[in-house]
Amino acid sequence: MKPVRTAASYSLPIFVLLAYLLMYVPIVVLIFYSFNGGQTPHQWEGFSLVWYRELFASVEILDALRNSLIVAFSSVVLSVVMGLFFVFYSARTVLQNFLFLFYGSLAAPEVVLAVGLLSFFAFFSIPLGLTTLIAAHTLVGLSYVTPILYSSFKGLDYRITEASLDLGATEWQTFTKVIVPMLSPAIMGASLLVFIISFDDFILSFFCSGASTMTLPMYIFATIRSGATPVINALSTLLLVMSSLAVLVFTLFRVRTRVF
Amino acid sequence: MIPALLWQILFLYLPLVFIIFVSFLKDIDYLVVGNLSLQHYTDLLKPIYLKIWGRSLSLAFFTSTLCLAIAYPVAYFLVFRIKRMRNLLLFLLVLPFWANFLVLVYAWFFVLEQGGILNSFLLNLGIISEPLRILNTQFAVYLVMLFCFLPFMVMPIYSSMEKINKSIFEASFDLGANRWQTLTRIIMPLSSSGIRTGFFLVFIPAFGEFVVPLLLGGGKTMYVGSLISFLFLETKSIEWGAAFTCVSGIILIVAVFALNKLLKTIFGKERV
Amino acid sequence: MREIKLKNIKKVFDGEPILEGINLTIPSGEFFALLGPSGSGKTTLLRLIAGFEQADEGAIFLGSKNITDVPINKRRVNTVFQNYALFPHLNVFDNVAYGLKIKNVKKETIEQKVIRILKTVHLEKHIYKSIDQLSGGQQQRVALARAIVNEPDVLLLDEPLAALDLKLREKMLVELIDLQDELKTTFVYVTHDQFEALTVADRMAIMNADGEIEQVGTPKEIYEFPASSFVASFVGSTNLLKGTIRQEGARNQIEIEDLGLFDLHIPVDKPWAKDGVQVLMSIRPEKFEVSKTELAGFSNHLVGTVDSIVYHGRSTQYHISLPNETVIKVFEQNEEHFPQEEIDYDDKVNIYWQKENVVLLET
Repeated sequence: MKPVRTAASYSLPIFVLLAYLLMYVPIVVLIFYSFNGGQTPHQWEGFSLVWYRELFASVEILDALRNSLIVAFSSVVLSVVMGLFFVFYSARTVLQNFLFLFYGSLAAPEVVLAVGLLSFFAFFSIPLGLTTLIAAHTLVGLSYVTPILYSSFKGLDYRITEASLDLGATEWQTFTKVIVPMLSPAIMGASLLVFIISFDDFILSFFCSGASTMTLPMYIFATIRSGATPVINALSTLLLVMSSLAVLVFTLFRVRTRVF
Repeated sequence: MIPALLWQILFLYLPLVFIIFVSFLKDIDYLVVGNLSLQHYTDLLKPIYLKIWGRSLSLAFFTSTLCLAIAYPVAYFLVFRIKRMRNLLLFLLVLPFWANFLVLVYAWFFVLEQGGILNSFLLNLGIISEPLRILNTQFAVYLVMLFCFLPFMVMPIYSSMEKINKSIFEASFDLGANRWQTLTRIIMPLSSSGIRTGFFLVFIPAFGEFVVPLLLGGGKTMYVGSLISFLFLETKSIEWGAAFTCVSGIILIVAVFALNKLLKTIFGKERV
Repeated sequence: MREIKLKNIKKVFDGEPILEGINLTIPSGEFFALLGPSGSGKTTLLRLIAGFEQADEGAIFLGSKNITDVPINKRRVNTVFQNYALFPHLNVFDNVAYGLKIKNVKKETIEQKVIRILKTVHLEKHIYKSIDQLSGGQQQRVALARAIVNEPDVLLLDEPLAALDLKLREKMLVELIDLQDELKTTFVYVTHDQFEALTVADRMAIMNADGEIEQVGTPKEIYEFPASSFVASFVGSTNLLKGTIRQEGARNQIEIEDLGLFDLHIPVDKPWAKDGVQVLMSIRPEKFEVSKTELAGFSNHLVGTVDSIVYHGRSTQYHISLPNETVIKVFEQNEEHFPQEEIDYDDKVNIYWQKENVVLLET
């Protein structure tokens, strides 16, 4: 219908604008004040990078960052490799009916997962630490990786596999030389997704990492509770930049390849 | 392929079964059949726990409903009302989705603090004479929940609206319907599966949420998530925590089924 | 029932002019076709009448009422869409009843009208089925029923048969003609297929690629008396021969370079056709007579060589090259099982035509 320019037809755009503003005002303020030179967090005292310098000097933060990175990378590798094998061997066999099992970790609230894992580890007296955390994150990672890779795999023309076998390749060679390269956009996308999810995760880490290990989100949490310094602002800004880059890369993948 | 399945079973399903089992135990150190009892469950029938469940259900329900009320027009706007800025606005919408949840929560915390930006702003404008105590209130909790979960609601609704064939609108107008009638009779039923997906993408995590109430609500009011955290991490009474978790899980499942039916009646089923 | 009048309609899309000064009157109760190549603006014109587009200039009248600014849902006009645009979440009955429900018609009346229209389009066995259970042809009829049940003043059809196979299309064309006869509603039918247009239309308009109407008339008028070389070539096929008019006293002739002089009939409605004027002579392929032997009784005669022969069952198409190196197309009906003469490749043949079976067109 030809839109009639009444007041009513402006109300929707204004509403949407307000919604976006409210989503972004705190973020923008945060970024802005991360460059605040002064000590008092809410009085603007001139532009400065002092908090960023403190950030990079802080041993605690760097430790937490290191832990987060280790866990994230390991989870990505484990979940992608396992997911890939599962998808390859299960497609077109009975096993594909078990795909729904992977949705369990998505459907339940994270607290439930965390608590389940915690009791499990406690019962078998497994010490909490980076390894338990990696186990937990891989679990979540699997439930994202498997559906993505599965639907991407289903989208491949299976005649290509047949062509490869026809030309003399073994199943393993077909897998490594044909299927994996064709799935690489989906693999990249899924890896990025799992990385971000693991890196940002708080609840599972909170429960399953024990007293001695701390990841970056846990550090932020602890600092907020005990009294935030503007260093957190700087840290937050950097994390936001990282996420934005991740979204950009992810979107570009989707747009360029349309595999998933 | 086996490792993947094993992993899932080992780390998800086994622990879940374990939790259920544990909830019936009196004391976790004695894994003997004679040690089973319903004691933990009966302990939970006290009103204090019912209040906690009620509170979490409330929080989840109102967050989801408010999110829906805001997200639906936003999704509608993005699908039907703009073309050129759409990709930019979608990008801006997805961004908070990928950002660290804690960072988002902290951003609101920073703004709402007593010495914070919002207060300075309002004080300077003379609108208020004393700083508002927004933090440590229920209002703050609801507000932050709303805006942190908003992208989760918009995405599925956007997806389902996008799939609608545009000529169907022209057909609806052609047959005499105005914009509102087209919205309620055509768009809503056809986007109803997106609505339900979005609703539960918010409701389920919101039910178990404890970070936001803890950081923004002062931590004095107990929600399901905070009680679970307390029971497991601070009192180490795993059996009790297990029982509470199981009942919470059942309550959640029942709530989800009921709400799903409700949403289906309100927004219509997609008969595709 | 009211007539449609389009006055000086202009429409531009993204800087490209789609319609240039369209003036058209469609009398009430007619089955009117809009025929033209892709990009001629015929669909845009239809959408303007429906209200999906707004004209940049000009006005649209339905009867005496100016509907140019009337919104889509208030016009007594209904559309049958090319892709049907059926509501996927409603079954056949609810789809057809949609317009009536919007108008708050009584439930019993709705039921009555819907079932009646579904019977008319032969869908009475499918009333409560869901849309995805129907074939393409059935869906098309639901779209038709859904529009007609609202008893509009005008029914607009946007290439409605495009997605159907040939046999089904032919069947539906006949059904549409019968339907229009029965309802007496004005039908405006857009198509790029001249066979469809010639079959269904009481009158039709031919649009060219520049968004102008070249000619309006009955199918016979358009075919036998095209107003321009575009119409002559677009509807059916034709041979266009360029020549100069030579008038000597009462005798009219046309001189074609390297071919000579031929008798010409100049109709009274073409006063511009005078001595010395360059014209295009349009002769349809079926208007020629071809023979190896000599025939008598024709005003004009040429000799040519057969370049190609294509057998089409009930007719044969010849490409014959003339002494001036132009090639003409000739159709001969295969009237005889055992024809008296067999025409073969490279044969020298006589080509005859009557001077009245020619249309003179401006160059």
